[in-house]
Amino acid sequence: MTAPLYGYGMFGVNTGLMLAVLLGVFFGFFLERGGLGDPHKLTGVFYLSDFTVPKVMLTAIIVAASGLYLLSDLKLIDMNKIWIVPTYFWPQIVGGAIFGAGFVLSGYCPGTAITGLATGRLDALVTMAGIAVGSLMFAVLYPYLEGFYVYSSLGRSTWQGLLGVNHWVVLAVLYAVAAVMFYMMERFENGG
Amino acid sequence: MQKSNFWSPYVAGAGIGLTLLATFYIMGWGLAASRAYALVAAVGLKGVSPGYAGSLEYFSGYLKPESPLKDWVLFETMGVLTGALAGALLSGNFRPRFDKPAGMSPGRRLMTATAGGILIGFASRLSRGCTSGVALSGGAQLAVSGWIFVIAMFAGGFIVAALFRRLWS
Repeated sequence: MTAPLYGYGMFGVNTGLMLAVLLGVFFGFFLERGGLGDPHKLTGVFYLSDFTVPKVMLTAIIVAASGLYLLSDLKLIDMNKIWIVPTYFWPQIVGGAIFGAGFVLSGYCPGTAITGLATGRLDALVTMAGIAVGSLMFAVLYPYLEGFYVYSSLGRSTWQGLLGVNHWVVLAVLYAVAAVMFYMMERFENGG
Repeated sequence: MQKSNFWSPYVAGAGIGLTLLATFYIMGWGLAASRAYALVAAVGLKGVSPGYAGSLEYFSGYLKPESPLKDWVLFETMGVLTGALAGALLSGNFRPRFDKPAGMSPGRRLMTATAGGILIGFASRLSRGCTSGVALSGGAQLAVSGWIFVIAMFAGGFIVAALFRRLWS
């Protein structure tokens, strides 16, 4: 096994930073081409008028998840060296809900605000400044928030680990849910 | 309304998925965005008031003694800006404007863009990331974090959209 390449010492920090720019270029290009720099499209899902956001997200997740676990099964990538996004149950529930409110209000999220700015949208720059201010407010209030911030930690928790099943069982459920959602979204957008 | 020249969301989504997969394979972690804002806020505050910035425990993870700006996510977001700019220019989609919901005054839009951003910045720190770092990257790892965040995000968004019916749409 030789991947993740950085985790196996194939290159150093500075090369990693150059690769960060390159991977970011692809990410930003596809975000813009998907219409995710446009706040009207970004908020459409919340008004059931445009399902671009869930379509892009679900497709991206399915492609990346299938590839990741296929590479893992083929012993081409070492899952033990993959940094799994840690779970903090209640902070992420509350944070997610506040995030959703901010998403609808501003019309952007952190990555799509950058994309919006790149399409010439100056309102996205205002939101970007707001995100920096909100981050600063969190840091200032952190002494009061710390107790909740570290509450209900589940560590590097995955659904297959939590349920004690093979990852392909979770992926099969994901494929089925996605198929139903894609079908419903296409029907809804075409006037039911 | 000009005719949209965007790609199919399934094609764009597959492109993002392959980029995310490449990031897992090359780096061992996923794509992210919100960390860059916290980092810029921390470094900015340090420039204005080094003592106060140094006293904030939360920022100690961002203000590394040597070159805090040599950060993977910050470099990645510079790439996002470049790639999105390339996409917008190549497709004739670049146009300086102050975008807002139909019928909203510029002053009110300034308020929603600012307030929404503040909520997003705060919530991203509480959640350990945003739609990129937690929802997309965590979701693709089949991590519990990614999916609970996404469900809560849509719940919060739908509630606000229901309360403010004419905000967008």
